[in-house]
Amino acid sequence: MLPYLIRRALSLFFVLLGLAVLIFVIARIVPGDPARIALGPLATADQVAQLRAEMGLDEPFLVQLWTYLSGLAQGDLGKSLLTSRPVRDDIMAALPATLELVLFTVVLQIALSIPLGVLAAVYRNTWIDNVTRVISLIGVVTPGFVLAIMLQLLAAYYFGFFPVTGRIDPSLGFSADITGLLIVDGAIAGRWDVVGDALRHLMLPALALSAAGIGQVMRITRAAMIEVSSRDFIEASRAYGIPERVVTFRYMLRVASVAPLTILGLEFASLIGNAFIVEFVFSWPGIASYGVRTILQKDLNAVIGVVLVSGVFFVVANLVIDTILGLLDPRHRLRAKGGE
Amino acid sequence: MSAPLLEVADLTIGFRAYGTQRRILHGVSLTVGEGERVSLIGQSGSGKTVTMRTIIGTLPMPPGVVEGGAIRYDGRSLLDLSRQERNRLKGTGISIILQDPMLSFNPVLTVGRQMDDIVRFADIREGRTRPRAERRAHIVETLWKVQLPEGDRILGSYPMMLSGGMRQRVLIGMALLNKPRLLIADEPGTALDVTTQAEILALLNRLVAEEGLSLLLITHNLGVVREMADRVYVMEKGRIVEEGTRATVFANPVHPYTRRLMEAVPPLYGLGVRTVTNLRESRAPAIEADGAGKAFLTRGGWFNQVTGRFQAVNDVSLKIMPGDIFGIAGESGSGKTTLAKMMLGLIKPTSGILEVEGRAVSALAGTEEFRKLIQIVYQNPGSSLNPRRTVADQLAVPLKFTGHETAGIGRRIGELLEMVDLPADYANMYPHELSGGQKQRVAIARALSVRPRILVLDEPTSALDVLVQSTVIDLLHRLREELDLTYVFISHDLSLMRNFCNRVAVMLRGEVVEQGAVAEIFDAPRHPYTRALLSAIPVISEQEEALKPQVTKQERAAVLATSTALGGH
Repeated sequence: MLPYLIRRALSLFFVLLGLAVLIFVIARIVPGDPARIALGPLATADQVAQLRAEMGLDEPFLVQLWTYLSGLAQGDLGKSLLTSRPVRDDIMAALPATLELVLFTVVLQIALSIPLGVLAAVYRNTWIDNVTRVISLIGVVTPGFVLAIMLQLLAAYYFGFFPVTGRIDPSLGFSADITGLLIVDGAIAGRWDVVGDALRHLMLPALALSAAGIGQVMRITRAAMIEVSSRDFIEASRAYGIPERVVTFRYMLRVASVAPLTILGLEFASLIGNAFIVEFVFSWPGIASYGVRTILQKDLNAVIGVVLVSGVFFVVANLVIDTILGLLDPRHRLRAKGGE
Repeated sequence: MSAPLLEVADLTIGFRAYGTQRRILHGVSLTVGEGERVSLIGQSGSGKTVTMRTIIGTLPMPPGVVEGGAIRYDGRSLLDLSRQERNRLKGTGISIILQDPMLSFNPVLTVGRQMDDIVRFADIREGRTRPRAERRAHIVETLWKVQLPEGDRILGSYPMMLSGGMRQRVLIGMALLNKPRLLIADEPGTALDVTTQAEILALLNRLVAEEGLSLLLITHNLGVVREMADRVYVMEKGRIVEEGTRATVFANPVHPYTRRLMEAVPPLYGLGVRTVTNLRESRAPAIEADGAGKAFLTRGGWFNQVTGRFQAVNDVSLKIMPGDIFGIAGESGSGKTTLAKMMLGLIKPTSGILEVEGRAVSALAGTEEFRKLIQIVYQNPGSSLNPRRTVADQLAVPLKFTGHETAGIGRRIGELLEMVDLPADYANMYPHELSGGQKQRVAIARALSVRPRILVLDEPTSALDVLVQSTVIDLLHRLREELDLTYVFISHDLSLMRNFCNRVAVMLRGEVVEQGAVAEIFDAPRHPYTRALLSAIPVISEQEEALKPQVTKQERAAVLATSTALGGH
């Protein structure tokens, strides 16, 4: 298992390197002079040339790339034109908010989709199955931003069950300094009012973000469970007197969970894409909100930084899923050893 | 005699689907006495599996409905028991061994975990508690009984890491864990190689005698029945059509269905054997191999580098003459399929020469000319036909790809269907509307559509029932004569080969250990492996048994040690 993980981690490094090069190239190809945009239309040609030299834009392309990559190796992502601060600082400030939202979303997805999928499979072709089918359809067909706005209007604005925007009530006077995650830091500090408030703020954005994934994963779990339930070893374990509950969860779900978990890993990519919109709607002070603003301003260093961070998210999430699959299914890791 | 351990009385089962109810079992009655070995014989669809599942209590209801009858086990009426009481008997009173030892295991749990679960939940139901170590000791002891001494190693393994024979033993061990009194075995050993199957059957027989078990054996293989049963029931279309002791049923079958079954089994020796000859004037060989070999490289490690070589086929030399039905016999992993794929140009040999009609396969492979020369019929017509295309569409594909004029395709499809004895209106049917034998006829027609001279038959009848098998074999014989075909027949079924081929080569671990005319090989096998193979085949009469080569235990053990040392890869 360990060599397998080391190999995966190594390939992760190469994926990120490739992503960095690719996104840097794209950023240089898009039309528009970053120096001109930063200085505005009134600046003189001399001023623009000076800033270009400062930013290294007059160097040959490969030299620029090398400078960028060596900076990256030391954790330097360059300076943001929008905020005039190092991109790294901006990202580090916004990252915890997004991390908290995305992690909570994933937890919500797993906690809702897999049990509902199992339920639909066990009670297939009954009203329970039909209800879950409708829920999953609604989740899949409603775009994230529509759901976000609807939830905001109904649950927050009209009924006031949840706060409309933001991450936490400022009047609580709490700042998350240890991990940056409000729930974790609140729990460490013993401030349960903070944890509760943070959860209330998280609920609507996380629901809007997770709906599509929940719908898909639920259907895939159901299909996988039904497929596995017709296999011989299920019949055998029933005949050997294993209780139905254990057959369902240990024997069927464990084999059936491979497909839904793989989809959850892939779903992660669209999660970050959707987070751009959902964070914007809920004024969530996360990296996606930051990304939207920097893209609109052609703040190239910042855009590259944001893309890299979401790349890391995606790659790490898939590594985690692969690890879980390896633990769940011995065929996965034995095959990865290369012994076909 | 006291009351039987199991008594099925007038059991009638229906299946409900889309509002209509169809009757599957029509008043089935059978008994299994204490310590008795009873066999239920039937083809696929005869209802034998439904009977088994109803007895064990795993038949899903709905759609299954008990319309009438009773099942009594040890004096209790199973169908009237509460769910809990019924569950208590599972594994502890009645236990099963399913057909396929690979599919009967959960692939993601270790063998030890699965066996421990079986013991632990039975303990819970019985209100017992045993510490983990004690349960483990019990499991290891049970594995001893099924001749698996290295219990600790096996318990830590995943099912995929064991060889086929070991899996089947573990499976028998699993069924025995909670000391059942009745064991139901569904086609035991038939998914295994014949030498392994013989060992498994011997083991089951010993266990029945030593543990005082009763055995209900469900099978279609009459040879297995003859070695394993005291009494026999024959089932056809949900009805028991014949019953009696083994001796009477085998010596004097009364019901026409039983007789047809017996006649359809290809005899290994004796008067009934059909001798096939090649009457064509042999000119140049159709296929010639000279030292042909294929090595696969295994890859692994950090850079996916080459870590080893596996010699799948090694130094094979043979000549197949036009008009031959050349059998390539061997167990799984012997390299017979790899050799066939090399003949078809699908795998390139890594050494030696392989020629079809005097020209190197490596040069011919992939050309239209080669496709019109040699074709293949696969083992399982259920998966080799496209389920979403009609018969006519499937037959048209090879014609289009070999440049057949479009206008004549329809007529050619008609000819082909007639050739394989299918009515012309089958052209518009989909594969799922056909029976297994009909599907295989379509597959044969598809292979013949481009008028090949050589046909590779990869176990063409092993997915079919024995009655259907004999009709397909007759068809193949007729086609060979009508169309001047040459067959390469790949199989593990030596009895069938005896009656279908004129020449045969026996393969073991990639090498041809013996080849020659069928009569020579079967009547006077020289290689110890061939002798062991032949002696392991279950046959259906005393005469055949007497004519089989006599192999001593030591001889057999020596050959088996070399053939199974490779494990289940």
